[in-house]
Amino acid sequence: MNIAVFIKASLNLNLIKVESSGIINTEETPLTISEYDKNALEEGIRIKEKLGGKVAIFSALTYGPITKRQADYERIIREALAMGADEAHIILDEKLINATTFEASLALAHLTKKVGMFDIYITGEASMDTSSYQFPSRLSSLLNIPVVTFVRKTDIQGKDILLYRDLEEEIQIIKAKLPVIISVTGEINQPRLPTLKQILQSKTKPIFKYNLTDIDIPKINLGREIKILPVSRKNIFIEGKNLEEVSEKLIDYLFKEGVVKL
Amino acid sequence: MSGIIVFSSKIKYINDALPLAYLLKEKEEIIGVSCYEKNLEEIANNGFDVFYYSETEILNDQWYEILINIANEIKPKYLIAPSSKDNIEILARIASKLGYPMVTDVSNLEKTNDTLIFHKPVLGGRATAIFKIQKDINLAITVPLRKFKYEAISTKAKILKIEKIPVSQFQIIGKEEKKKSAVKIEEADIVIGVGRGFKAKEDLKLAFDLAEVLNAQVGCSRPIAADYKWLPDDVWIGISNKSIRPKLYIAVGISGAPQHVSSVTDSKVIVAINNDKNAPIFKYADYCIVADLYQFLPILTEKLRKFKKS
Repeated sequence: MNIAVFIKASLNLNLIKVESSGIINTEETPLTISEYDKNALEEGIRIKEKLGGKVAIFSALTYGPITKRQADYERIIREALAMGADEAHIILDEKLINATTFEASLALAHLTKKVGMFDIYITGEASMDTSSYQFPSRLSSLLNIPVVTFVRKTDIQGKDILLYRDLEEEIQIIKAKLPVIISVTGEINQPRLPTLKQILQSKTKPIFKYNLTDIDIPKINLGREIKILPVSRKNIFIEGKNLEEVSEKLIDYLFKEGVVKL
Repeated sequence: MSGIIVFSSKIKYINDALPLAYLLKEKEEIIGVSCYEKNLEEIANNGFDVFYYSETEILNDQWYEILINIANEIKPKYLIAPSSKDNIEILARIASKLGYPMVTDVSNLEKTNDTLIFHKPVLGGRATAIFKIQKDINLAITVPLRKFKYEAISTKAKILKIEKIPVSQFQIIGKEEKKKSAVKIEEADIVIGVGRGFKAKEDLKLAFDLAEVLNAQVGCSRPIAADYKWLPDDVWIGISNKSIRPKLYIAVGISGAPQHVSSVTDSKVIVAINNDKNAPIFKYADYCIVADLYQFLPILTEKLRKFKKS
């Protein structure tokens, strides 16, 4: 089984740097593997462990500047390799900095095609930082391979795969033929933590680096302006000499806000 | 005349996308695409100029083929869908095929002479991304369910049945209905969220008592539904399951994982009660109370009861 797993280096939501002016400083915020992409990788590794084959990681850096970010980014890719992937293919190109799913999917589809054919393409349901949910569908359209999203269980049976989709009101069980692109939910598995031995071994696994020219995309035009502003909350800590007083103060605030009617 | 396609694989969500279509509409026709329901004519005549319907519910890849055919004919300025999971999958695939950028889960729209400014929650609800897009760019957009207020606009729709349904590459071999509770937390004005701070299922009574006085509904974070199964999935508040936008959200014993925070960020007022003063949830709350929920909830409930009586 030839397995491709797509990983986003997302902003680490637990370490977001906010300037004193209140603006989020994305350049100073460290990166981490996007949460559900870890589930995608875990699922890919489990399929490999059961049926044999290879897991290749695909990723593109979308946060800059590259000179400052590259070490942090490669640390993340090494972490993914340590979990059990065999090789990584990554795109580092200034033109992809601040790219949205629109441009990133185009670059990653080109790269995947260049590397080869896979039986199953796995990604998380959405990235945890920008949550666009578009990547699996865009990849499907660009590679012309069917897509099944929001999968919380997989079961490969020969050339067929059973996919349990977690929808709003039901679990829908779909039978698809390989190759297929799937996106997985956080409920599909519990991603493993690599052992020290695996971390050491990951240093010998190959990371192949590309820029957009290498994968035959000469020009990418980021035609949109995007600003990110933090949501502000009041953050009032209510204190009092006892919990009765705290309760009374809270109730008072809620009445003033007009959100409670008794 | 160019058009705006408003699509939903399930017709019951389609009106959720209509308000945004009217905000964007200049001269375009509004073209609905969905599946049959017995009051189809009434739905179609409440805002649509044309309405294409499939006689039965069909699979996502079949919708994709059908919508591509319609889009090739109409060359839509905008493709808009309510953010159900199926709709997002279908719309993103079409957007890619047509070369349209797409903005998912638009929470607000402003217009200037030559640009559209979309707001969308990002960074797990900690921030809003503001997309400034030139008006001449074609776009796909999804809108959270129940986000924009729908008001019926009377139209006389041309209703067309989709005759040619393409063959699916998939086969549905089963469905498991999710266990449902009697309540809909998405529609509640006040929601109380319970998390891992509760030590046993019986203890949730403390939250239900408070809910009764406030006329609120009780929802939960991931461990309560997924790991402990103390409450059904349909009251689980989290990114892959459910977003809510009540007037008041009270997070009790919830640490504040990103998926949870991003799903409650549209609440007007957020109160957090947690015994750990470093719990991340406090960063996203308006009113923060560092206290043991086992001591605090009964006192708060009792005080509210007294207010109610007086």
